[in-house]
Amino acid sequence: MNAAQGDGGALITRIAETQDRAAFAELFQHYAPRVKTLLVRSGSTPSAAEELAQEVMLAVWRKAHYFDPKRASAAAWIFTIARNLRIDSLRRGSSALYAVDLNLGAEEPPQPDAILSGMQDAQIVRSAMQTLNPDQSQAIEMAFFQEQTHSQISEALGVPLGTVKARIRFGMMKLRAFIEREAGVAS
Amino acid sequence: MSLRRLPSEERLLAYAAGTLSPPEAVVVATHLALRPETRVWSDLGQAVGGGVLEDLEPSALDAGALDKTLALLDLPEPQEPTVRLDKTDPTLPAPLRGFELGPWRWLGPGVRVRDVLGPRDGDCRVILLKIAPGQSTPRHTHGGVELTCVIEGAYATESGVFEEGDFEEADPSVLHQPRVVSSKPCLCVAALDGQIQLPGRMGKLLAPFVKL
Repeated sequence: MNAAQGDGGALITRIAETQDRAAFAELFQHYAPRVKTLLVRSGSTPSAAEELAQEVMLAVWRKAHYFDPKRASAAAWIFTIARNLRIDSLRRGSSALYAVDLNLGAEEPPQPDAILSGMQDAQIVRSAMQTLNPDQSQAIEMAFFQEQTHSQISEALGVPLGTVKARIRFGMMKLRAFIEREAGVAS
Repeated sequence: MSLRRLPSEERLLAYAAGTLSPPEAVVVATHLALRPETRVWSDLGQAVGGGVLEDLEPSALDAGALDKTLALLDLPEPQEPTVRLDKTDPTLPAPLRGFELGPWRWLGPGVRVRDVLGPRDGDCRVILLKIAPGQSTPRHTHGGVELTCVIEGAYATESGVFEEGDFEEADPSVLHQPRVVSSKPCLCVAALDGQIQLPGRMGKLLAPFVKL
């Protein structure tokens, strides 16, 4: 699958431009099974996750024209769609809100160049994640699953709340610095 | 330590992950709309979300999942549920425009409040507060977390001045009495958890009448 090598964005662009069903099928084979795992780990039952994963991929087809490869990687964009549909499925009244994030920042002035071009590069983001120490990386990853509040993470790990927040904060700063540096070198 | 007027990095990560409660997410989104420079942290959170997604073990899908989805591609997109536009306010920052609003209510001299209908999480909900120049809200402590973002104007608390786009996370142990220091009224959006507790004799007198 080429999506893993960073070609997911090209597939989404092909869907947007020519309603390319082969591109969609390729994207589906790579991402739908991962979206299902994400949803199960966020608290959905396997059958709800299956259904929602298919809805996420359908939304990828329908919203492909919003995708801007200069602003987000395919993985980040699909993650955002999955996040929004999961929130919608919980019917907690905020669907109107998160729609804003899909067209990542279209209304806003651009971010500083290095960080922006770095963040849309899935390889750079994943290398950055590998520079985190295990505590930071665990705290950040846990923040993505099971509706974990920071207090719940603190309880699960048996460390004080302040420590969890500090691990996330310093981890995020480290990611940002790494991405800016890498993208700066590449450009 | 200098006064922080932005959401913390960990709160922005929770926003990006979609794990903040809806009322908190509304206030953070308002801040992001007014302060695009903070978006770098929520965009980073979404980029990390992409990395997390990419690294997950794939789950087996039902047989025929792809064919089932392919068969749906050409169906017309279902209509999004619509809000009553006459009950929304198009002059608000984008994240607030999609919500119906309750009527303005009086909350004391120069202080008005209205509900942002929709985002709720138990007792936690979203309100808009409009305070006239020079006026304060009654001194109060908070039952739970209060997040505030200034949409227009400025207010000052014991800890400093908060201006357009500034984000404040109230400490439940602190007595809070924001006072408007701008020449125009100050409009804020806030997520409140539980009832605001007004301390002292004045609080006891007002409590039956003031429902935040």
